[in-house]
Amino acid sequence: MRRMPAIAGLAAFALLLAGCSASAAETATDDDCPIAHIELSELPIVDDVRAATGGSRACLGTNAIEPVADDTAPKLPVTVTDSEGTEVTVTDVSRILPIDMSGTIAATVFGLGLGENVVGRDISTNFAGTEDLPIVTKTSHTLNAEAILELAPTVIVTDTSIGPKEVRQQLRDAGIPVVMVSSERDAHTVGDLIDEVASALGVPTRGAALTERVNAEIDDTVAEIAAVAPEAVEDRARILFLYVRGSANVYYIFGRGSGADSLIEAVGGVDVASEIGWEGEKPMNAEALVAAQPDVILMMTDGLESVGGIDGLLERIPALMETPAGQHRRVIDMNDGQVLGFGPRTAEVIMAFAKALYAPTETAAPTTAPAGS
Amino acid sequence: MTGEVVVPTPNRHRRSRFVLSVIVLSIGLVVVSIASLGMGQYALSPTDVIGVLLQAVGIQNDWAPEASAASGVLLEIRAPRIVLGLLVGAALSVSGVLMQAIFGNPLADAAVVGVSSGAALGAALSLTFSLTVLGMWTTPAFAFIGGLIAVFAVYIISRSGGRTEVVTLLLTGIAINAIGSAGLAFLTFVGTSATREQIVFWQLGSLNGAIWRNVGLIAPLIAIGVAVAIIVSRQLDLFALGERTARHLGVRVELLRIGVIITVALLVCAAVAFAGIIGFVGLVVPHLMRMLIGPAHLPLVISSALGGALLIAIADLVARTAVPLADMPIGMITSLVGGPFFLWLLIRTRRRAGGWG
Repeated sequence: MRRMPAIAGLAAFALLLAGCSASAAETATDDDCPIAHIELSELPIVDDVRAATGGSRACLGTNAIEPVADDTAPKLPVTVTDSEGTEVTVTDVSRILPIDMSGTIAATVFGLGLGENVVGRDISTNFAGTEDLPIVTKTSHTLNAEAILELAPTVIVTDTSIGPKEVRQQLRDAGIPVVMVSSERDAHTVGDLIDEVASALGVPTRGAALTERVNAEIDDTVAEIAAVAPEAVEDRARILFLYVRGSANVYYIFGRGSGADSLIEAVGGVDVASEIGWEGEKPMNAEALVAAQPDVILMMTDGLESVGGIDGLLERIPALMETPAGQHRRVIDMNDGQVLGFGPRTAEVIMAFAKALYAPTETAAPTTAPAGS
Repeated sequence: MTGEVVVPTPNRHRRSRFVLSVIVLSIGLVVVSIASLGMGQYALSPTDVIGVLLQAVGIQNDWAPEASAASGVLLEIRAPRIVLGLLVGAALSVSGVLMQAIFGNPLADAAVVGVSSGAALGAALSLTFSLTVLGMWTTPAFAFIGGLIAVFAVYIISRSGGRTEVVTLLLTGIAINAIGSAGLAFLTFVGTSATREQIVFWQLGSLNGAIWRNVGLIAPLIAIGVAVAIIVSRQLDLFALGERTARHLGVRVELLRIGVIITVALLVCAAVAFAGIIGFVGLVVPHLMRMLIGPAHLPLVISSALGGALLIAIADLVARTAVPLADMPIGMITSLVGGPFFLWLLIRTRRRAGGWG
């Protein structure tokens, strides 16, 4: 027993942490999120974003991914050097298997208008049009080579967040081209990922069009938010991304390079973790949490529910009560699968977070978790 | 002193060693606790600390800092964490003494007879099936029930004709451990990725989440456990002479053994409930104390309780201050110290006494 948590636990943890966003949470639909259809400028904006109180939930208005307008036919075969430096030749994109921890690659393939060619999905992929696809990562984040071969994919697009790499090798040995793409996910690299996926699938022009669209959306969104965000840095909300799973002892803070930093900056907040030089994802000390003095805590919905909502969170982590965020019960939560996905829907995610941040009265979330969580 | 019972030629030397070690350990505990109060990631000067503490006992003074967070950090975060660490350390090492006594095996500890594995399985069950019958106490309560079931299963299965052979008992423990691990593996398999992470997080030992209410809950349990250990220490000395001899000397062996097993489950579960799994304390501390003051159980229980508390206090001070902002896993630190120590112990024993067979 002593061995088990120490070794297996830590080993599993490396995998789990990378898969933080991979919960199979229900995706918000139109009915759940009326605020998504109201312009930010028309919402009642809170006077002082640092002093707002109560919990909010950020949600997306639509569950669908809009494909790019370009419909140039794929030009095949195509040979690319993937992110691991391997030369891969793709001859057929009629059966695509896009899988990663966050569901971002699948979202990108759908965004490129190749959704009809997708034959399977990872557990994080749950947007419209994917409901009937078989899930190849049913248990944990490990792949089963035979289950994948059963789907007879002609190309697999994946990254290092999902494995093991022996299975990827087995699939290559079985003659299926496996294209590795970057596993970095943040608001600035959305275009890079789209380009990588598009060139591997022989649709570089669609990729360019989608990148242009997504980046324009992000720029518009950021500009729209800037209009309501406070100008002075000291008036901006100090936000901390807190990653909790049921336990009161161990909680992780997502800092620089985790993707959370780019999201917080995009909404005109101050990423407290980056400010104190927090790199990546690490367990935080309760006293350091107090010293950081965040105004707003950003969390994943399932994580918040695993501790029994805001009440349970404050009860379990008394350190939060010594921060403005805890005193104001200011916790914003967002769907686990969406918040750090950074696919074609990045702009929507940023806007949803901004609305929850600046218009808290309109996005108030239930203060206690539903029964059974 | 019960030391006379097990040591054929009672000597003052050993008793004075006990007194000396209790004094040294007590001073160490006080010093480390005070240092721990003053050190932490939230910067507080010594005068701030004194000011807050005086204020807490009702004396208004100028030293207490203006910021309300200062007193919150000290009284609601740092202090309960230190106290929890002392309690957990004492509980783990006293449970080690009891196990080693009752199984007559120097390698016996909670992990060997399956208490930890049962507790982990109970906790994992409540997490996987999102049980909330007892609110935030659900997981600790299930851990407790799981540990008790495991230890009783080991006891009942390994008992035959009113007796329990040590080897059978240890082998049964191994089997129960295997079943517990299989159950845990199955739960991580059926759970969602979120519940899987909850299980992993729960198992990572840490005192970071200490709150007074948890301390208040486990303190009486640990006090009862240590009190029982002190009460039965004289019988344990007789037990060490061999079961048959002990029985002839009037010890009710079965009653003693079952009482001690329940006490062990109580101590381990109380320690594990809120701190997760912190390894090696139950193994290392009693051994170290036995080397210093001899095998008589009353002094051993007392000095092990102090020594375990001191070990955890130091390890946790390192865990929470070593890396800026972060919280290191305390189980890693105790195992880092305990592992090499144990290897040294093995080599030393083999050289002197031909090993443990």
